[in-house]
Amino acid sequence: MTSRDPLLTATGIAKTFDRTRALAGAQFDLMPGEVHGLLGANGAGKSTLSKVIAGHVIPDEGQLVYRGQPLRLRSTRDALDNGIAIVMQETSLVPDLSVAENIFLPELGRKGRGISYAGLHRRGRELLAALGQEYVLPLDIKVRHLSAAQRQLVEIAKALGVGAELIIFDEPTASLSPIEVDRLFDIMTRLRAGGTGLIFVSHRLEEVFEITDRVTIMREGRTVLASHPTASLTQAELIRHMVGRDLGGIYDRAPASAGLKASAPVALQVTGLKSPPVVRDVSFAVHEGEILGLGGLVGAGRSETVEAIFGLRHRSAGTITVGGKVVNPKKPAQAVRAGIGFVAEDRRSQNIVPDLSVKENLLLAHLGAHRGFGLGYRSREKEIDRLLASLGLPADRLLDANMLNFSGGMQQKIIIARWLLLNPKVLILDEPTKGVDIGTRQSIYQLLRDVAAKGVAVVVVSSDFEELIGLSDRIVVISDGASIADLPASLLDEEKLTLLAAPRTSMARNTEMLKNLSLETGGAGFWALLDQDRMICLNMVGAADTADPGFVTGDAKAFAETRIPTALKGREPVFVPEVDGQRSTMLLPLRTSRGHDMGWVGLTLPGGARVPPPETIRGRVEALAASL
Amino acid sequence: MTLTTPTAGQRSAGTFRRLTGRLEIRMLVLAIVLACVLSLLSPYFLTRSNLFNILDQSVVIGIVAVGMTFVILTGGIDLSVGSVAGLTGIILGLAVQNYPLPVAILLAVTSGAGIGLISGLLIAYFSLAPFVVTLGMMAIGRSLAYILSGQTAISNIPSGMSDLVYTDILGLPANVLFLCVLYLAAWGYLTYTKGGRTIYAVGSNKEAARAAGLAVFFYSVLPYVVSGALAAVAVTISIAQLLSADPLMGNAMELDAIAAVVIGGASLFGGRGSIIGTLIGVLIMVMIRNGLNLIGVSPFWQGSAIGSIIIAALLIESIVSRRIGR
Repeated sequence: MTSRDPLLTATGIAKTFDRTRALAGAQFDLMPGEVHGLLGANGAGKSTLSKVIAGHVIPDEGQLVYRGQPLRLRSTRDALDNGIAIVMQETSLVPDLSVAENIFLPELGRKGRGISYAGLHRRGRELLAALGQEYVLPLDIKVRHLSAAQRQLVEIAKALGVGAELIIFDEPTASLSPIEVDRLFDIMTRLRAGGTGLIFVSHRLEEVFEITDRVTIMREGRTVLASHPTASLTQAELIRHMVGRDLGGIYDRAPASAGLKASAPVALQVTGLKSPPVVRDVSFAVHEGEILGLGGLVGAGRSETVEAIFGLRHRSAGTITVGGKVVNPKKPAQAVRAGIGFVAEDRRSQNIVPDLSVKENLLLAHLGAHRGFGLGYRSREKEIDRLLASLGLPADRLLDANMLNFSGGMQQKIIIARWLLLNPKVLILDEPTKGVDIGTRQSIYQLLRDVAAKGVAVVVVSSDFEELIGLSDRIVVISDGASIADLPASLLDEEKLTLLAAPRTSMARNTEMLKNLSLETGGAGFWALLDQDRMICLNMVGAADTADPGFVTGDAKAFAETRIPTALKGREPVFVPEVDGQRSTMLLPLRTSRGHDMGWVGLTLPGGARVPPPETIRGRVEALAASL
Repeated sequence: MTLTTPTAGQRSAGTFRRLTGRLEIRMLVLAIVLACVLSLLSPYFLTRSNLFNILDQSVVIGIVAVGMTFVILTGGIDLSVGSVAGLTGIILGLAVQNYPLPVAILLAVTSGAGIGLISGLLIAYFSLAPFVVTLGMMAIGRSLAYILSGQTAISNIPSGMSDLVYTDILGLPANVLFLCVLYLAAWGYLTYTKGGRTIYAVGSNKEAARAAGLAVFFYSVLPYVVSGALAAVAVTISIAQLLSADPLMGNAMELDAIAAVVIGGASLFGGRGSIIGTLIGVLIMVMIRNGLNLIGVSPFWQGSAIGSIIIAALLIESIVSRRIGR
């Protein structure tokens, strides 16, 4: 905290897109040397406000004061010239240019002078060093080959390259593993210490509590809580401000129906699905009447998986059956004929046909399935009326010329209705509540539950883990293009899901250590999350029968169901033998340098094996943890 | 996000806005204004015989513009129509020497459709740019027309062929009647059939159309087939009028057709446009040319005049539509 004068103040910001009011009198202020959380539900206007501050969006009303001067931004160029930069979720990097060229991309837009590549490299190294990341990123590699986390690092370096004093991070953690999140927070802490003002836009509350100094909460385009110290708030208070009421009932569902659903016939079965380059090996099954969640980080291959199932992507291996019949669709029309409906992720580019009326958009899937020369709209009139009534959509707006004038939630309902009209056996939805306001989200959840209750198998992809856990009966976790766990949603919480979803590549050193341990000792090394009396195995290496702990990667079991219940209950840093004397196991907690709980590392040895000194193993695990 | 609901006042203004909001209506107004101006400049313009003359001149370009509308609605473009007309005209001229007229016409139309099929497949299957593929076809078509014809016009066309054009049915010349029927059919197809709506959906958002299970591939190819076939139909009528097939026939025809479609309100990005708009566009084009001839503007200046009027019309249109708010 270098100064008490705010770096930036925004007051009375209003912005309307077409007929949708995105901002209606938002206010915000930022101190130098602080991390300021900007929170709100989907559609609350936090992204629009950050785009206003970054010059992407020109507001209709309101003013910005920056370093004591009124600020009028006409473009991102303006914002950059003033030292304001934004690091967005979908990065604005040029994939075919090198890291160094991308970092200094803004300079290419300036007039005059040639470029000195040696100079770029030197300054690039300096910037990365300032972030403490000089060894992480080669400067001459093309951005195309970088991971999501590395790309983000380039974005941050790019912001520093233009001398940014205000950096906006828009949902920066969505595609990062927990370890990468820690690294990002280290960088943010450094920047804060250097006096930079940081805006952190997120909906992951635990991260907000960890990194932010103050928070501003938005709802329906307005600021409902301005610049409140984070430490004096509880999670429940945050949620109440975001939602405007207690959240309790949103994810309510009929209890104990999960068991029933598991005995229902399988509606969709996917086995060994492969779709290069992203999807490597995905298998799962959905029962009739069940809601299955596909969880994972952004970029893990969930969207690609469902697109491949629906025939939108080429598959190189795998079998897809619907209702027991092999279908293997080569194009969406075949998937539709087999009884699959698909609501793609991006409404604007993948679902809405802007030049057709709302009614024709609703009837679009019907048009594809219709076997005749004419339109066959007449035959659907009754169903449409019934559907509209059940969705709470006013029938008179059906003839509106432009669907883009509707709110996100309304658009989404029409797209879902498009498929319900065909009575599908399986309905797949990719990020169904993206850009949908909180009130409508609830009705979409209810809609999906009603659809499932009628016997439709529902598959939901969502990056919002809270939503995924709240909505689904069962969750299949996809990481690095492979399905790695299949668990009842009731066993999971956001933290466990995040750890499960972490890319295997980012866990490479962890796996290597487990492999070495099991090779050296002839036992089985594993990494697991432990509850009161249940465990979830994140990784298991070593297959010697005599040392088999009774679970494999992705398993969730009660301690009693495994072969090492005594050790799991005891959690001792020394080898604890089981009652039957067959195996002995030691367990060590895994903590990152920032003190994050990453679960437990265990080593199970066969009964008569030579027991290595526990201290040496502990040393290795701690060394690994410290370097994570 | 809140949705602002229209007030009663906005609703009542809606009807007027819906009318002025339609590009076809605005262009129809332009056509009428143009007709008034031309009739003031030349007293001959509004005579019955000149009006029939305008209709007669609209037939060939009008037929080609239908195919062009289909193509442009999918977001494509067909630069090859002129040379397809030239080539199929020569095919017709040669075929009619040895075969009965219907067979010769069928052969020409099938060839036109075949060329369109090749373009369409290249565009849809290999995702090649329509502009480039049809540009290539344009060069190939013209070159083949010269080779097949031996660089000269074929003038020994059986004179009975002119009956195709000059027979009156229901008081209208056959070619004009044909044009009317064609536009009615095309309008019905684009408005009331699965295929027609799919063509709009493909042009408006191909991804969404594919994801909704529409037959995107088929309806991406079909417009080029229609366009090629109609180019052959158009040249058939030309030949029936002139009783001669020239390898140069249809030269620069694609430009007139594209201009007519665009004046009629179609978006070159696809998804927006209508067959009625195209008809108005064709009439505007023909009227301008006819009027300039009547006033006695030198043919060398006519190109500049037509070009300027097209650009001015679209400029005014763009300003007006921005004012109205789409």
